[in-house]
Amino acid sequence: MSRVTIHSLSKYYGTSAVLDGFELEINQGELVVFLGPSGCGKTTTLRLIAGFITPSSGRILVGERDITHVPAYDRNIGVVFQNYALFPHLSVFENVAFGLRRRKRSETEIRQKVEKALDMVAMGHLANRMPRELSGGQQQRVAIARAVVIEPDVLLLDEPLSNLDAKLRLSIRQEIRRLQKSLGITTILVTHDQEEAMSIADRLVVMKDGEIQQIGPPQRVYAEPANTFVADFIGGANFLTGRVIDNKFQTANGLILAAAHLPPDCRSVVIRPERIKITSHHGSLDNAITARIANETFLGSGRIFDVRLQGGDTLSVYVGAGEDGQPSPGHDDVVLHIPAKDVVGIRDATARAEP
Amino acid sequence: MNARETIVADEVPPGSISVVTEAGLVAPALVITVVIYLFPLLLLVRYSFNAFKPGEFMVTALTLENYVNVIVDPYYRAVLATTISMALAVTILSLVLGIPLAHFISRSVRYKKALILLVIIPLFVGNAVRAAGWMLALGEQGLVNATLIRLHLVGSPLSIMFTPAAVLIGSISVNIPFVVLTIQSVLEGVGASVEEAASSLGATPFEVFRKVTWPLALAGIRTATVISFILSMNAYATPVLLGGPGFQMMAPVLTDEILAKNNWPLGATLAFVLIATTLGLTWGFGRLRLRARP
Repeated sequence: MSRVTIHSLSKYYGTSAVLDGFELEINQGELVVFLGPSGCGKTTTLRLIAGFITPSSGRILVGERDITHVPAYDRNIGVVFQNYALFPHLSVFENVAFGLRRRKRSETEIRQKVEKALDMVAMGHLANRMPRELSGGQQQRVAIARAVVIEPDVLLLDEPLSNLDAKLRLSIRQEIRRLQKSLGITTILVTHDQEEAMSIADRLVVMKDGEIQQIGPPQRVYAEPANTFVADFIGGANFLTGRVIDNKFQTANGLILAAAHLPPDCRSVVIRPERIKITSHHGSLDNAITARIANETFLGSGRIFDVRLQGGDTLSVYVGAGEDGQPSPGHDDVVLHIPAKDVVGIRDATARAEP
Repeated sequence: MNARETIVADEVPPGSISVVTEAGLVAPALVITVVIYLFPLLLLVRYSFNAFKPGEFMVTALTLENYVNVIVDPYYRAVLATTISMALAVTILSLVLGIPLAHFISRSVRYKKALILLVIIPLFVGNAVRAAGWMLALGEQGLVNATLIRLHLVGSPLSIMFTPAAVLIGSISVNIPFVVLTIQSVLEGVGASVEEAASSLGATPFEVFRKVTWPLALAGIRTATVISFILSMNAYATPVLLGGPGFQMMAPVLTDEILAKNNWPLGATLAFVLIATTLGLTWGFGRLRLRARP
């Protein structure tokens, strides 16, 4: 249970950088999520911290201790794997006891701690089973118990939920969060699932191509994405390109939008689909735009409408099932309201390249 | 056509169709095995109870004389002892060399295919040809001695050819591909993440091997042990070509009885002693407790 400092960590294979200049400080007891598409370097970073691979350069510190060149078995870091990686030849009890036996603890202490850890994940009654007799969710619970029973300084979870079905994913996610908070373990979780990341993280680290794109609490990363990649990767997003004129944003198609904060050199804005309201009349609000609904998609909890604006821009709009004024496609014009605070300007290299 | 299939599927209890089909598929191989392998073998059993009279060759009889001879005669006992010790030494060394190689191959990503190919390539060359290659390498003027002399590690050439050491080297080279491929395929299934899990829990590399890799690869290691042991118990070309006339193992000796001395009863007897010993020891390995405590 310690602070983790990662200083300019890089990993090269040949000349290609899998991870380049990774810089991060994780507070004691914090849960940080590395989020990004496959190949973004998040798992590599985790494996570097675990000590399964050695970095090309940079340093990793746990507390004051430099563990960059400490072998994995001396790091006291708990790891939970995507495929659970339970020892198939050992019972649930012995799986959890494995780390304590390596530490030469007494039989009494081992029994006590293993039972406590298994009870924590509600697996105490299955201690004598073999891993193959357990469901995926049960195996992952045992894997979590096995990782925390050694009282690690840091807990690493590598896509721990991606092999589970949707229902189970939700309950184990909550269990991980509850356990992590109650034990106060500094934790890093790797995932490509943005919803999972946002629901569990104290802070997100969004990564792409071996580089950090943005670090921050989920709410801030969602509300103020640093670039179009982050905006696009996290939640649904509408992008409009254009330029800033008189503190307003003018799109390439001539639409003019009021926006609360616009960097003067920004060339695109992001608008979240659920922030746009569909009404039938022009009110006194900002950004009332006449539009026509082109298409709708039913999602269960609500609908996504594809709307075409007069100038030619298209936006997707999310309307929750309980909200008033459910329009339908093909009807007459509707009016969109986009609050100025929800038009977020982003500085971005890729946006600049677009016409 | 479809309708008929449906009816059949409905009326026949589940599983029956596939049982019939499996029996049908196994039959040809079974017939061939029985006709060209089991019958001659039974015939050979019968021969081993026949008598041998010089001048008359095999004489029909029902005697245990051949078996008594083989068991009592110190010459044949020495041959059997040499065969067993050589097979054990070859098997142990093949495992000691093969397990790390198999592990390395199973955990490598980039060079896996190339490494497997390197292991397989020697199998394309027959045992006799490979032994001939070793003769060139191990002879007094051979590659090994030339290298050792050039490096000033030895003053005069070592006599490696026609020693048990030459047979050992040759046999290991025969067995290693089988050992490596068998264990590697099992280790692929074990997966790297259980080993990583063990090391993150505090297991040193040696403990990871002893507590995780070894018990999980045990099935493959047992199979590789059996394959290697059977191969070297029955080795023919390697001991003949590399061991020379003074080095006697069972397969060459029994072949000699049958082909050179025309003593079919004794040859058959030696064959069955070899088969029985091999099966007995293989069964014995199977009962060894090799599992480590958690």
